[in-house]
Amino acid sequence: METLQQVIAMILLVLGTFLSLVGVIGFIRLPDVYTRLHATGKVSVFGLVFLLLAVSILTPLTAWKGILLIFFVLLASPAVSHSIASAAYKAGVPLAGPKRDDLKSKLERGSDKDV
Amino acid sequence: MFYLSSIIALFIVYLMLTANITLPNLVLGLLVATGITLLMPKDAPMLFRIDRLPRFLWTGMQYAFVVFKDVVLGGIATARLVLDPKLPLKSGIIAIPTGSKSELGTAISAHAITLSPGELVIEMDSDGIMYTHCLDVESTAVAADEAQAKRHKLLSSLFD
Repeated sequence: METLQQVIAMILLVLGTFLSLVGVIGFIRLPDVYTRLHATGKVSVFGLVFLLLAVSILTPLTAWKGILLIFFVLLASPAVSHSIASAAYKAGVPLAGPKRDDLKSKLERGSDKDV
Repeated sequence: MFYLSSIIALFIVYLMLTANITLPNLVLGLLVATGITLLMPKDAPMLFRIDRLPRFLWTGMQYAFVVFKDVVLGGIATARLVLDPKLPLKSGIIAIPTGSKSELGTAISAHAITLSPGELVIEMDSDGIMYTHCLDVESTAVAADEAQAKRHKLLSSLFD
């Protein structure tokens, strides 16, 4: 039982570290604000979630704390990346080589004031 | 009734976070929960009704499963894109209609979309159209409407 717990926790630790690493690599390689937010705001957050899961398994006494923290992180992180992206778009940060921009064409039509 | 259920929920969350069941901590938790409840606006919408609990739990589990599947698939796609030596990026902004009338349903849909890697809601307008930035425009544009329809079906049975 003890070893099984440790093996599962080890797998989760490796997975979490790998995802955090992918987030950092993405942050360096991707070209603009919006795509970088995908790397740091999502992939790294799931790295953190796996690390917290591993901690919850390794220290059963405070497992509830870890699970609650996962819940809060998952609840809050999309709000953070959305507000950064929205602020960047309003400040006029350009997209790197967009294939398609539905929001821009809508703003040019000017049909809706509150966007 | 709203105050009481809110105080109890916050109190349980506080106890889970501190993981310490001694009398001073219980009293402090009760005080914190009461204080936060008093700060909330009086006409805050009631998210949760006790008579709907079984359906709430069942639909909530289905919804969590749908979101979890999106998150895992999106995570794999994004990790592959980042690690690909050629970096085949096809980013862009597409419009996804929510289909939902209630503001809460729209907010939760936007949360689910932003949570899954590869999709990021940048802006919303008053018609409930979400302008979503995607890493891969072509595949997302095909899959997004179907995924949104699935989420909308589950959410509308909860909140409308």
